[in-house]
Formats: sequence, C-alpha cells, structure tokens
Amino acid sequence: MKSLWQPTLLAALLIVAGCATTTKHQVALTGDIMVDAPNAIANGPPRDRVLWQYRLAAAAMRQGKFDVAKQNLDDALLTLGGIYGKDADAKKARSYFHAEAKKTFIGEPYERCMAYIYRGIIYWMDGEPDNARACFRSAEFEDSDAEQHQYAGDWVLPDYLDGLITAKLGGDGSDAFKRAQADAKGVRLPPYNLKANAIFFIEFGPGPTKYASGQYEEELRFSTVPSPVTSAELKVDALQIPIAPTDDLAFQATTRGGRMMDHILGNKAVFKSATDTAGNVAIIGGLATALASNNRTAQEVGLGLALAGLVSKVVSAATVPAADTRSWENLPRYLSFVNVPLPPGQHVATIQFLDASGQVHPNLTKTITVNITTTDRDKVVFVSDTSTTPQTL
Amino acid sequence: MNPLLTKLTVPVCGATVLALLCGCASSGVKNPSGVPVTHMNADEQGFVAGTGMESQDLVMVTDKMARSILSIPQIANAATPPTVVLSPVDNQTRFPINKEIFLTRIRAQLNSKAHGKVLFLARNQMEELEKERNLKRQGTVTASSDPSVQEFKGADYLLSGSLQGLSTRTKAGTSDYILYDFHLTDFRTGVLVWEDSAEMKKQGLEDAAYR
Repeated sequence: MKSLWQPTLLAALLIVAGCATTTKHQVALTGDIMVDAPNAIANGPPRDRVLWQYRLAAAAMRQGKFDVAKQNLDDALLTLGGIYGKDADAKKARSYFHAEAKKTFIGEPYERCMAYIYRGIIYWMDGEPDNARACFRSAEFEDSDAEQHQYAGDWVLPDYLDGLITAKLGGDGSDAFKRAQADAKGVRLPPYNLKANAIFFIEFGPGPTKYASGQYEEELRFSTVPSPVTSAELKVDALQIPIAPTDDLAFQATTRGGRMMDHILGNKAVFKSATDTAGNVAIIGGLATALASNNRTAQEVGLGLALAGLVSKVVSAATVPAADTRSWENLPRYLSFVNVPLPPGQHVATIQFLDASGQVHPNLTKTITVNITTTDRDKVVFVSDTSTTPQTL
Repeated sequence: MNPLLTKLTVPVCGATVLALLCGCASSGVKNPSGVPVTHMNADEQGFVAGTGMESQDLVMVTDKMARSILSIPQIANAATPPTVVLSPVDNQTRFPINKEIFLTRIRAQLNSKAHGKVLFLARNQMEELEKERNLKRQGTVTASSDPSVQEFKGADYLLSGSLQGLSTRTKAGTSDYILYDFHLTDFRTGVLVWEDSAEMKKQGLEDAAYR
C-alpha cells in the first residue's frame, strides 16, 4: 500500500503547488479612494482596472475634479467598447476551475450605464452636448438586452436628456421625451425648457451592491440599504424647486433578469456538487469495502475506489462556481435632474437633501457658486449628497 | 509490488494529474507575453476593434468626401477658388467622438490634392487674427499692406456634416450602423450644392462571461 500512497501524495502536492496563486498585484488599501484607486489602477490586477477607474471617477466628480473623472471614464469606456470577441480572461472565468471574477471587470449593465451617464455629464460641462447625448444613448443601449422586454432600455434620465439635447440643438426631441415619460412610472416629467441654461444633475442615497447566494455562492444578487435621502430641493436666486428621483439604480440592478453567465455558473455548481457526491460515495463505499472484507484483493479494490473518490473530491474542491461580486459600490441610489434659466453672473445654489418624511438632512446640504458667463452655452452642475461643499463652478 | 497496486497507481495518479492540468493550466491564453507595438496604416483594421468609429472608417469616409467635393462643377470649374468655412460635425450616434477630426482630415485632403482650387477660411482662429490685425492697425507691429483695409474674406460655401446611427443589441450581439453625411451649402443662395454620404455597419458579440 505504501507504494500507492507515495505517488498519490506527490500528485496532491503538485496540485496544491500548481494551484497556488502568487500574490503579485496585491495593493494595500488605505480607505481613501483618491489614494487607493490610482494605486490599484497602476499596481493592482489588470482585471480590476475598470472597476477602480469607475470608483475613482465617481469620487472625483463629487470633489469637483472633473478632469480626473474624465480621464478615468475615457479609459474605462475604451475597455467597455472593445470587449467584443475572444477574451482569454473571460474564457477562464467560464471554465470550471476559475472564478467568474477572473474576467476583466466591465460591470453589470446598470454600472455600465452609469459610466456613460457620468461621461455624458462631463461632455455637457465641456460644451459638447452632442457627445453628451451620444453617451446618454449608449447608457440606454447598455440596458437594452434585459431578459424581460419591459425592463429593456427603461432608464428615464438618459432618454429625457437625449430629447432635451436634441431639442436644444434644433432637432425634434419628442420621441425621446415620450420614451422617458413612458418609463417614468407615473412621475410627470417637466416639458423641455430650451431657455433653461443651468443644468443640475442631482444624485443621492447609497447605491446597490452585489453579493452571492446559493450553495456555492453561484447566484449573483443585489442588495440595497434603505436610502436616508429620498428627495432633494434646489434653491437658487428666488427659485425653490423640489427634486424627485427619476431613476432608481436598485430597480435597474434587479430588473435586468438572468445572465448568460448565470447558466454557466449553474452548470459549474452542478458539476461541483456531482463530483463531490461521487467522491463521497466512492470514499465511503471504498473504505467500507476495504474494512468489511477479509479478502486482500477486495480490500485493495476498496482502497482504490476510495482514492478515486478522493480525486473526485479534489476536482470538486477545485471547481469554482462563485459569482463575481465585484461592485462599483460608490454609486448613488437615485438620479435626478433640474434645469433653470439663469442670467449671466454669479448665483449661489443650495441643494438640500430630504428624508422620506420631508425633513432636511442639514449635514448633507451643499452650496455651489455657479458662474454663468454666457447664455449661449449651458452651465452644467453636478451635485451628490456626498459632494464636497462649498464648490465654485 | 502487488500487481493490483501497480494497476491502480497509474489511473489514480493519471486522474490526479489530469485534474491538475484542467484546473490550473492557463490554457487558451492568447499572447501571454503581450503584443509589441505594431505599426499599422490608418486605413487598416487593427486587432483592437469595437463597433464604433475607428481610424479606418475616418480615412475611408474623408477620402471619399474629398474626392467627391473636388469633382463638383462649383469647385472644379470655378474661375476663382471658392472659399469654404467648416462647421462642426453634428454627432447623432451613440458614440462620443472628436468632432473636429473628420473636417480636419477632409480639409487636409482637399488642401493637399486640390492644388488651390478651394480655399478654407480659418474662422476658428478669428480672435487671434483680429488681435494681430489690430496690432498692425495700432502700429505696434509692422504690416506688409495697409492694415486699415478689410482683407478678411467672406465664405462662399459652408461645409458641414452629420453622423447618424442605428444600434441594435440582442442576445445575438451588438449591431451598429452609422451614416456619415456631408454637404456643401452656398452661403449666397442657401442651396445645397453638394452632398455625399458613406455608411458603415459593424457587428460584434462579447464573450458569454459578459452577457
């Protein structure tokens, strides 16, 4: 028997040694996204690069560092736009013995939509409304293959802004407006005011994150904590405008339906379970045979069966059906928008964030000084309940 | 050694090694050492491709437009070279682009191939041009001609374009059709004296891991 155990032990050691992953690309995190993200982008695993770029872009926008956001979103969207065809990491993610998280992160559709929406906001800030519209169209496009047709391309804000920009550029934005209104779930959207040159993007609440459920964590799920902020209010000059959410990211994350990858992960889970069960049966059966029998040949056959069962268990243990739970977790829960006409000059805008009972969260109030230099070009203001305050734009 | 053990050793170790190979081997990794920088012509499709606008599309479209403009009688038979101003391309697709690049390349193509048959006005530099003229008028800098005479030319034609798209995304993949349309408008009459278009359709499907 000794001679059988030695090569088996050697092979097992080989497995352990062979599967051990090196710790290159490990990045120490400080908890400060503005430090961690650039470090992770430069030194972290390449497959997580887009994730960190997304996170950094969102954080930078809230600090008014739009050039940082632009640079990172452009690079991330290049990866997102060129993901077609063969991809070695994606192939690995589909294999039994690698986790889904081995693939290059581009995000689930709601995350991809947000990347385009943020980039669109920056294009608009830079005086390129048609490129902003292109981003809003791409955002809607990313959501267009939901399992159930009713949830395909059902973001409100990208369609609404598509129509608004089209109208501002002299086109007919009515179709896009109708689409936005149809998806607005009873909320009456304001008609386009083409003279409104101050464009406020408002976001608030903690966005959805991912977790895995199922016996082998093969099922991707989304969780959202109740948002302490459910609406906002803009005060600028003599205007006081209530702001209700137009889009809910939790709704978008959970209505996409099943993914192709979910089937693959399901198959991995079945394989893992089957090989584990087969291993159990073989080990128990083999050992029982070996122990119960006085016949040497039967004992050896029983031990052989137990060893085969062990191999099956090893294969089962090496199978990784876990879903990819990497999340762009600094996304907001709600998006909204308001535009007002402001004459040239300096205006102080105050944005208050309100809870479900309409009470103001005083510690979240933001003050933005808006400098309007011309009425020929829109002034775009981005405000999050986590934005730094005050800001001058 | 017991013959049965010998028989068992081979399949057991073989199965274990097989598991090792299946589980740990990074099979299918293309270009594990990366790809060195490859020099390509701008009109070639590279190995990095999406369904949006790329350099080969830009080259094809602008080459076609430049050839087409040069063949119209208003340019080819003009007694004096007509002057043209460029207006930014209207991007109506879902792809954000550098809008200047199309007209820049058309202008460069026409300037290099038209041999003076058409002149472009640098309206995007008017501020600097006016500043320099004013310096000449003030006598701060020298002038080779009378600076008080208005010599900035007016344009005969406006060259503009639009990019329109039609995109579809299903389980079978992504399809993007883009129509590139350019036109030349007579400033005096408002008549479209030339229009031409090019179209492109691209389809792709991402790995199932992303679907």
